[in-house]
Amino acid sequence: MKHLTEEELIEHYYSEDFYKAEAEVHLQACRYCAQEYEKLGKILGGVRAPEAPQRGSEYGAQVWQSIREALQPYPEKKKRNYFRWPQLAYVTACLLFLAGAFLAGRFWEHAHSKPSVASTTQQTKERVVLFVLDNHLDRSERLLVQLNHTDAEEGQVGLPLQAEARQLLTDNRLYRQSIAERNDPLLAAALDHLERVLLEVANSPDDLSSVDIARIEKEMNTQGLLFQIRVLRTKVSGEKNNGQAAQKGATI
Amino acid sequence: MGNDDLSLIRAVLAGDKDAYGLLVVRHSQSVFSVAFRITESEADADEVVQETFLRGYRKLESFDARANFRTWIYRIAMNCALDVLNKRKSQGVVPIAEEFDGEQATIQPVDGTAGPDRLLLSQEIEAHRQAAMEKLTSTERVAFVMRHMEDRSTEEIAAALGIAPNSAKQAVFRAVQKLRQSLTPLWVRS
Repeated sequence: MKHLTEEELIEHYYSEDFYKAEAEVHLQACRYCAQEYEKLGKILGGVRAPEAPQRGSEYGAQVWQSIREALQPYPEKKKRNYFRWPQLAYVTACLLFLAGAFLAGRFWEHAHSKPSVASTTQQTKERVVLFVLDNHLDRSERLLVQLNHTDAEEGQVGLPLQAEARQLLTDNRLYRQSIAERNDPLLAAALDHLERVLLEVANSPDDLSSVDIARIEKEMNTQGLLFQIRVLRTKVSGEKNNGQAAQKGATI
Repeated sequence: MGNDDLSLIRAVLAGDKDAYGLLVVRHSQSVFSVAFRITESEADADEVVQETFLRGYRKLESFDARANFRTWIYRIAMNCALDVLNKRKSQGVVPIAEEFDGEQATIQPVDGTAGPDRLLLSQEIEAHRQAAMEKLTSTERVAFVMRHMEDRSTEEIAAALGIAPNSAKQAVFRAVQKLRQSLTPLWVRS
């Protein structure tokens, strides 16, 4: 069995040992260490603090009087420096921060104002295109409906229809060219199809008969085109309404 | 009390020298007690008290407002006591007046019956204890008093003496070893 060292016994006596419980167990089991610990306890337990002589109630005042003359008062400016420097530094830091924030805001606003204007211009242009296109598709739809519902028995119906087709044809060319920049293949294909139908109607003889119209309907699949135009109208109307709502939100 | 001490310290640092007098009056008794335990001399203890409060005043600007003034001045007192012990040793001076005083016997025999033989033995033991204490180095003596009589932890001793905790622990260990060697023969006889 390994005995406790003198240092371990002293540490245990002053309760500074890391393994206090283990030391207790060992002291109960080991007679030699228990005797050594008892001797140490007797000696240290007998060494008591010497009783300090009583000093009167005036002792503190006497000590103060004995040292008072040797002390120089602290200069008041030290207090000012001690307490004011941090405050001054704090105020300066706050002012610098505010100035920095103001300048940063100005620069940021300046930097972001131009793209904002450009963006607004682009949106306005987009909304105008959608509005005009919606109107064009509406007129085209009405023409196609009229074309599809022309009865073979009605005889010649060509003149008003051709006039409208010519007017729409001119507009349709412009829109088709504009739409080519939008990367919208469905709309571009529909306008292309519409242009061919309009061209056929516009370039037909003045005495466009219901038979001719039936031929055009069949060859040009005007029923399918009408369906396409209706779908596109719904889509364009939706985009137009969304654009208006966004503009209102931005204004607010 | 701690807050009162702090307001007095602020007053002193603002130029009111006499505010320090209140701190001296308030803490001089406790500083004297610990100084006497270390030096075992009234004259030396008085010297320690004066020197402690002088140093305290000069270092007052470095006092941390979060600290306790009593603890702070106690540490200064330990250092002053250490200096007085070193000076005493270098001059080869032994406190004569308190060298042996039966009234202040500090060794208490296990058997409390105070017959003439027992009283004589107690006086002999006290003389040996004082002699044994004088054999300790200044650091060992201060460390032992702080650990054994003031019940301070190793960390507190280390902080007061400005040494590493392990050095403080070794100082206490060496002090106990020396006292044990000096006093064991007497306990065997008793």
